[in-house]
Amino acid sequence: MAYNSPYRAAPQVNAPPDQTFLWNIFQRVDKDRSGTISDSELQQALSNGTWTPFNPVTVRSIISMFDRENKGGVSFNEFAGVWKYITDWQNIFRNYDRDNSGFIDKNELKQALSGFGETQSYRLSEQFYCTLIEKFDRQRKGQVAFDDFIQCCIVLQRLTDVFRRYDTDQDGWIQVSYEQYLSMVFNIV
Amino acid sequence: MSFHYGQGYPGGSHPPPSAPYGGASGPYGGHPSAPYGGSPHGGSPHGGSPHGGSQHGGAPRQPTAPYGGYGAPAQGGQYGQGQGVAPAGHYGGYGGQPQGGHYGQHAPAGNIPPGVGQEAFQWFHTVDTDRSGYINLKELKQALVNSNWSAFNDETCLMMINMFDKTRTGRMDIFGFSALWEFMQRWRGLFQQFDRDRSGFISGTELHQALAQMGYNLSPQFSETLVRRFTVQGGRPGIQLDRFIQVCTQLQSMTQAFREKDTGMTGHIRLNYEDFISGAITRLM
Repeated sequence: MAYNSPYRAAPQVNAPPDQTFLWNIFQRVDKDRSGTISDSELQQALSNGTWTPFNPVTVRSIISMFDRENKGGVSFNEFAGVWKYITDWQNIFRNYDRDNSGFIDKNELKQALSGFGETQSYRLSEQFYCTLIEKFDRQRKGQVAFDDFIQCCIVLQRLTDVFRRYDTDQDGWIQVSYEQYLSMVFNIV
Repeated sequence: MSFHYGQGYPGGSHPPPSAPYGGASGPYGGHPSAPYGGSPHGGSPHGGSPHGGSQHGGAPRQPTAPYGGYGAPAQGGQYGQGQGVAPAGHYGGYGGQPQGGHYGQHAPAGNIPPGVGQEAFQWFHTVDTDRSGYINLKELKQALVNSNWSAFNDETCLMMINMFDKTRTGRMDIFGFSALWEFMQRWRGLFQQFDRDRSGFISGTELHQALAQMGYNLSPQFSETLVRRFTVQGGRPGIQLDRFIQVCTQLQSMTQAFREKDTGMTGHIRLNYEDFISGAITRLM
């Protein structure tokens, strides 16, 4: 695969869809015609491919990424970013979900996430991937669905970024105080 | 800043009743029965004013004890004395039916399972709108409101389901719900206690006081930043009950994680990438 770190930003796999196409989708998703797509509108529009409601926490994460004015939703301009973000992740997910089951298992997850650590000091153990599945698999199937996969990647990205900030010599180790540690995990550094 | 480790973990020998994470006994152990023997609160759950005028006599004990941790040895005495007395007044909390259809209305009469309080039992049947015998995320979210009637956020609901879903199916049975009910009562009591101006929102200053009283040794800036981070966009600055529960629960859990690494009790830890990531993921979620 061409991408090294899926977390930085979803890789550029798609040509940008044209505006008319996006506008049609936007209008269909924006059910109350407010000009802004809310969490619940986006959630209803998204499918994780398994007939269960799309993870609301993932929806919130995605919207807050693109909602520049903190209005609690995305405008049409911002929606282009949301659309691209989701379809790019979808392409990655499909690459690893070879049997089209809508789920990826531990080994597939591991492959999908490789390149994430990038350097030797940021390797993750076999056990760690079990933890990831256990924590992000909302459907309790021992595998992760698309929405949970995105959420898993968002969380990993955030924690890795904050770790890097403290790991100035990039050796994979940090030394932190109690309050620093809490600030890191609460993402308020 | 010095860390009073020795005495600093007042609750050390008493696992918090609510400690969902990592505790060997799980969230349910040690709840003999519902502590709120009090009067079922009929009528509006908010009793008009958001705080229902509940001057619950005396501060509830810090029921969820051992968060705390670093520092504040003076507080030691109050921990571990068992269940906090859940004050009856509850703004926020289970509501969602403004017209006040409350307990008993559709609650089946008998057969409360052992260890489950009557109120929790009755609420369970009200919240379980699809009559599945389980409470899922959607049902829980519909049932929980903050003092201004805003719904609980998804993250907090999901966190609570994860804490009390003993069956690992993404939903709670009556026993899990009953434990959650107690948990909520206690946090609601603490929230009211620390929301000194009765606004329904905890400010940075109020959070700092709350955390200090719970025994945390953290700077005022920490609380300020935390409140800023969790303030609802476009809303009044401060955190509501849902975020308060989330923040305090996670703080408790992450403090425990830190403590386990800080074997020398120096207030500093050294940890590698995977330890950091997996510690945060297993305990925050």
